[in-house]
Amino acid sequence: MKILAIESSCDETAIAILEASGHSLKLQKNLVYSQIDIHKKYGGVVPELAARKHVETIIPLVDNVLGKNKLKNMDYIAVTSGPGLITSLILGMATAKTLAFTNNLPLVAVNHIEGHIYSNWLSNSKLAKNTKKYLPALVLVVSGGHTELVLMKGYGQYKLIGQTLDDAVGEAYDKVAKLLGLGYPGGPIVSRLAEQGDKQAYDFPRPMIDKQNYNFSFSGLKTAVLYTLEKKKNITKQDINDLCASFQNAVIEVLLKKTIKAAREHNVKSIMIAGGVAANTELKKALIKESKKIKLPFFYPDLKYTGDNAAMIATAAYYNIFSKTGDILKGDKVFDLQPRSNWQLSKNKI
Amino acid sequence: MPEYLVNNQRETEAIATKLAKNLKGGELLALSGNLGAGKTVFVQALAKALGIKENITSPTFVLMKVYDLKKAKINKFVHVDCYRLYRREDLLEIGLEDYLIHDNIIVAIEWADKLRSLPDRAIKINIELLKDNKRKITIN
Repeated sequence: MKILAIESSCDETAIAILEASGHSLKLQKNLVYSQIDIHKKYGGVVPELAARKHVETIIPLVDNVLGKNKLKNMDYIAVTSGPGLITSLILGMATAKTLAFTNNLPLVAVNHIEGHIYSNWLSNSKLAKNTKKYLPALVLVVSGGHTELVLMKGYGQYKLIGQTLDDAVGEAYDKVAKLLGLGYPGGPIVSRLAEQGDKQAYDFPRPMIDKQNYNFSFSGLKTAVLYTLEKKKNITKQDINDLCASFQNAVIEVLLKKTIKAAREHNVKSIMIAGGVAANTELKKALIKESKKIKLPFFYPDLKYTGDNAAMIATAAYYNIFSKTGDILKGDKVFDLQPRSNWQLSKNKI
Repeated sequence: MPEYLVNNQRETEAIATKLAKNLKGGELLALSGNLGAGKTVFVQALAKALGIKENITSPTFVLMKVYDLKKAKINKFVHVDCYRLYRREDLLEIGLEDYLIHDNIIVAIEWADKLRSLPDRAIKINIELLKDNKRKITIN
């Protein structure tokens, strides 16, 4: 079957075409238009600007991806319908609904986080070929808006076992970068500087590391960085590198400890990471090492699928259809689909 | 203009709890203070005192989160974050207007100082980080 997927939940406009059958996934097209340069100067995504840019880019991108064959041989349209910025979501959804309705194609509503999780299937063929062998899986979802530990029992079956009580990991990176005057987005900058820093230089707190639950808290860690900064007078480049390294070390230690502990407690058959922060090399290295120690396979998405993209949305849609766990709308029912900016993966689907 | 000097997180929470008890519904709380001042801590304690069971997570990414409350008089708590905001119109775009001026809804806006003007009725809460992790909380 052939799926056209649209993703516009934040500041990336993305379109993909996936040809899938059985356990084979063939990505035919994958285009991402990133607005990052537009939002950089504001230190974060500006919803109004993001929405305007989606309006400008979405139709040309769809045109480009479809080419002269248009929607010939297409079987499904898939679209991210949450979580995300409501003003961004509605544009991808309006496009998808219109395409689905006018071409009489079924529309699959995909959860953005589920998309990130399925980027692992797109990146690891052995996972796609033999999913059963690796489920249940413990998935660490880390991005600008999310930090969650999700137990994936089967296709479309998710249980939230822990989450951040305040800031998401990506957000903590962004805010620390802002405190240090480093620019936006914070993740790549902080982790790059951390490479030249001493991770033992500052003893930052490991929030909630010994709590008996799987929740996280990163707001206080950011405050600890702030306190340290305020106490110092002359801050050298090396100090900044050391602060980045020590901050990152604290973040990774907490994520790692809780992930491994949850994996053991829930007797999973594999560990996965998903979301934008899955691009963080140090975090991946630490997870590879610790998973090996407890003899569990560890999967992570290819770098190109860590950021927002539509290929992962198409993949999630495929498994939604394949396992009959998805929300599939037909005919004028497609117009009933509404954006859900805070859509929790483990809550019932639509 | 009540002013409080607090020494730790627990004391901040106590002030938020006290404020929550005096809310009747329809209030607009405008919080200001730098990164790390404790705005989130304040809002979390306030929400808890209002009877919200869910975790109040940062709305920085989605700008606004809406929580349902079972209390008879107040049935919604709206948590807004202007940290990433550039224009106040952005708040209208995400639908904040739907929640303002309803006497059964409480709206708390973090980084409210980014908005050039606030309604007169807004309860302004400023948290200032002082030396030795002490804070000054001003409510008016």
